[in-house]
Amino acid sequence: MDSIKYCNEVMARLETLMYQELSGMAYWKCEFVGPDFIRSKNIEGKNVAEITESCIKEITAAGIAKGIEYKTGGDGMMLKLKVDGCMHQEKEALVRAEGVNPYICPVANMVLDMIHQKLKFETSYLAKLAIDEKTQRCLVYMALYETADKIGHVTDWLKDDEDLAFLKSQPSQILAAADRKKK
Amino acid sequence: MTGQEFLDVLSSRKSIRRYKPDPIPDEMIDMILEAARWAPTGENYQPWRFIVIRDQETRNKIGDLSKQGSGSRMTAWYCLNELQQRFEGIEDPVKRAEVLEFMYSGRVSEFCKQAPVVIAVIGDLRVGSVDVPYDLCAAMENMILQAHAMGLGSCWVYGPVASTRDAIRFKEILGIPQGMGYYKVLSYLAIGYPKEQRKHPRPKLPLEEMVYWEKFGNKERI
Repeated sequence: MDSIKYCNEVMARLETLMYQELSGMAYWKCEFVGPDFIRSKNIEGKNVAEITESCIKEITAAGIAKGIEYKTGGDGMMLKLKVDGCMHQEKEALVRAEGVNPYICPVANMVLDMIHQKLKFETSYLAKLAIDEKTQRCLVYMALYETADKIGHVTDWLKDDEDLAFLKSQPSQILAAADRKKK
Repeated sequence: MTGQEFLDVLSSRKSIRRYKPDPIPDEMIDMILEAARWAPTGENYQPWRFIVIRDQETRNKIGDLSKQGSGSRMTAWYCLNELQQRFEGIEDPVKRAEVLEFMYSGRVSEFCKQAPVVIAVIGDLRVGSVDVPYDLCAAMENMILQAHAMGLGSCWVYGPVASTRDAIRFKEILGIPQGMGYYKVLSYLAIGYPKEQRKHPRPKLPLEEMVYWEKFGNKERI
């Protein structure tokens, strides 16, 4: 049996069913999908970069993704991952085939969970998940709030972002319909 | 009460986020809760439970959590240049900047600190009902309408329980048993005497855009 295929089929069904039941709210409910794996590892680090690197090492060693690059920005409040060859790509395709934009990223959830657990960050948010089917690459943008007073500190995360053109072509969580723009 | 009079109550309701500090009499709170009790519920399971919160310190904690929930999302949306697009329709740049800051700071969701009464709506997942979220929504709507009918303002607030981590914190604040199989936290209702006069009515889609007859897509009344 292809256990990865089986796993992705099960996950895709759950992801689409949950979207059917909760609509966009489902995006915010799934932050604990994925972290169990990383919690079983000895992740160490004194800051976001070290925690992220430690997570990447475990995730790639386990074959969950072939390669992950990361960068921080936004005065330390943004963490961007470029995930290549993720084992859940098949899940993403199945979810999209049902007309749902994939919203569950176990890899992102793992990293965020460790940032919460190890660095005691106040809160975080998986802000953007953009998937390039052709290259099998996912772009993940996450907001990190070390303390509550970081909320409301805004910068332009996409300034000089090398993936801006692709990102703009991707669906937005909050701009699904043009009429969401306030008149 | 005629059908039109009832419709007038429904159509004159609006979400109120600014309240006078005046306390809400117990009799009014009881009537709001009584209205919830009569909401439709699958097989009469009545899974809803209500926590009435008047303690300022608790409301502050919930307000902070609400602010944090909304603010964490909207800050990110702003930094990704998406939140701005939702408010492009505000022509005055100063006003637009003020509105955006109000949103991404999370202050938009902080108002329960000023609401004299907050009612958390939760559902017991162990009673056997298969309709818990829907029953809770029906109860919430009944409370909103009852409050409005008595001249109170209210607002249904989801912000502090939107993410699973925040829902856990919300449960901690109110001492609600943790565990995914015990209680669902739907959201809370902030209630008080209205301090604001909002523009009303807000534009609503015409029925022709949302009603089909006999089959999906058929807009002709048969």
